Amino acid sequence: METILSINGISKRYGKIQAVNELSIEVVKGQVFGILGPNGSGKTTTLSIILDLLKADQGSYAWFGGHPSKDSRKNIGSVIESPNFFPYLNAYQNLQIVADIKDMEYDDIDRVLTLTSLYDRKRSNFRTYSFGMKQRLAIASAMLGNPQVLILDEPTNGLDPQGIAQIRELILQVADQGITIILASHLLDEVQKICSHVAVLNKGKKLFSGKVSEVLAISDSFELAGNDMEKLQKILIEFPGFKSMNLSGQHMQVYFSTSINPEELNLLCFQNGVVLHHLSERKRSLEQHFLELLQDNQ
Amino acid sequence: MTKLLKIEFKKILTYKVFWILFGLYFLFLSAGILLAEFIINHMVDSMNKHLPIPLPHINIYFFPDVWQNFAFFASIRYVLIFPAIVIIILITNEFTFKTIRQNIINGMSKAEFLLSKLQIILLISIIMMASLTIGAFIIGLSHSGTHEISFFVKGIPFMAGFFISLFSYLVYAFFFGFLFRNTGLTIALFTLYSLIIEPIIYFFLKSPLVIKNDISTYLPVNAVLRVAEYPALPVLKKVMGLELQSHVSISSMAIPLLYSGIMIAIVFWTMSRRDL
Repeated sequence: METILSINGISKRYGKIQAVNELSIEVVKGQVFGILGPNGSGKTTTLSIILDLLKADQGSYAWFGGHPSKDSRKNIGSVIESPNFFPYLNAYQNLQIVADIKDMEYDDIDRVLTLTSLYDRKRSNFRTYSFGMKQRLAIASAMLGNPQVLILDEPTNGLDPQGIAQIRELILQVADQGITIILASHLLDEVQKICSHVAVLNKGKKLFSGKVSEVLAISDSFELAGNDMEKLQKILIEFPGFKSMNLSGQHMQVYFSTSINPEELNLLCFQNGVVLHHLSERKRSLEQHFLELLQDNQ
Repeated sequence: MTKLLKIEFKKILTYKVFWILFGLYFLFLSAGILLAEFIINHMVDSMNKHLPIPLPHINIYFFPDVWQNFAFFASIRYVLIFPAIVIIILITNEFTFKTIRQNIINGMSKAEFLLSKLQIILLISIIMMASLTIGAFIIGLSHSGTHEISFFVKGIPFMAGFFISLFSYLVYAFFFGFLFRNTGLTIALFTLYSLIIEPIIYFFLKSPLVIKNDISTYLPVNAVLRVAEYPALPVLKKVMGLELQSHVSISSMAIPLLYSGIMIAIVFWTMSRRDL
């Protein structure tokens, strides 16, 4: 597997705030790598460092296995924070500048403008664009010339639901072409829908990283009540995947770390002599789960 | 054309603010130079009312004096400030629009970014020098007799002097732009320094006796203005007995260039370390 990006122990401090704390990440070719964390967790700082906008206090990083340079950046398409273009130039002129910097011909500009549904407005000045159009132009600019890597920092921030769906679909299309994507987001749902791998950040530290399906596995919870609550408790503790429980009123709230089929649960209780008169499945919201992940690691 | 200049042209070509300010600069400069003789002679006329022996009218457009006079009028503080503001706007815009970040992200090095701005400064200086040279040549031809035309080469080094003055002054603007990064603040501070603060310092430093190697002449903006410090007015020499500049000295060109070199070095050094 070809390593696209390796970050080794990067730290960055702004005065008293430790924005990034000994962060190490490895991104392999073809991954859609999510960097997930709340606002202020160091996502943008990390991306700015690997794009040479900020100097890290410590640590190093390598692009494509080599020393980072301006030429390695030419193979990377990036959207960092807000879309940055000349307001008095139109979309086409702005992208010409990008193409010039990347030593590319202009023949790819129309393709990326069409992909992001901006082709009809390509002669309008950037300042006349709506926020969604500006964001789409930033993505068009990042995709110019089919870079090997796409870096997207909160690409759906501030967009309306239709815009969000459009951008997500676009990212998935690009991922299908085998382009490596690094996506920073504070939305768990977004990372889960788009990414194959994820690193979860909080306060500049990496909490976990790995496959999305493993790191962000949703544990189910059930609410149960039966004829013999004490016995029920014993049965549940031995159930594979058991995580925790608490008694609230007449019901028992049970958490599992793996996906559980309620039928299985009911059968097991019955076989062990407990008859349930209440069983309901509770799906926790993803955001709730994310907050728990963060809390567990504080 | 270099790649960096090509990019810079794209940023400027449809930027109205640039063309309006540059147009105003060109207009003021041409009007100033073409009206200078009329204004000077108007002053002579009003002085003559109080003088027992009237001063003769002054002609500033014949060879070889026309070179020095054009260089002098083109490097007056109030004229030079126009292209300097244009440069400040071009540089600080990149911070306001955050396009400097985007340029770096897309694969420009910080050094290339700085070079692109220096190249546009160099180009503007060359274009202005060429325009001034052509203007002085045409005006000189139409105002000189056959005898004077034979002297026309003599003052040409003043055009090189003007080039050095303009280039250095624009490098000062470049330095201020990268130092302060904010358009309004930079224009205010640069104008304040050039037009008010340095003249005040100059006033206090200048010794009452006019000594050529006065320390005050080494102030950065003053050094730029001193390349063509006085107009060529032979009458003034005769009447007032002043020892006026008759040629461009190498040392007067070296001082602003030295300042420019130091400022460029500081900008490159800090930009390689500062966060964007």
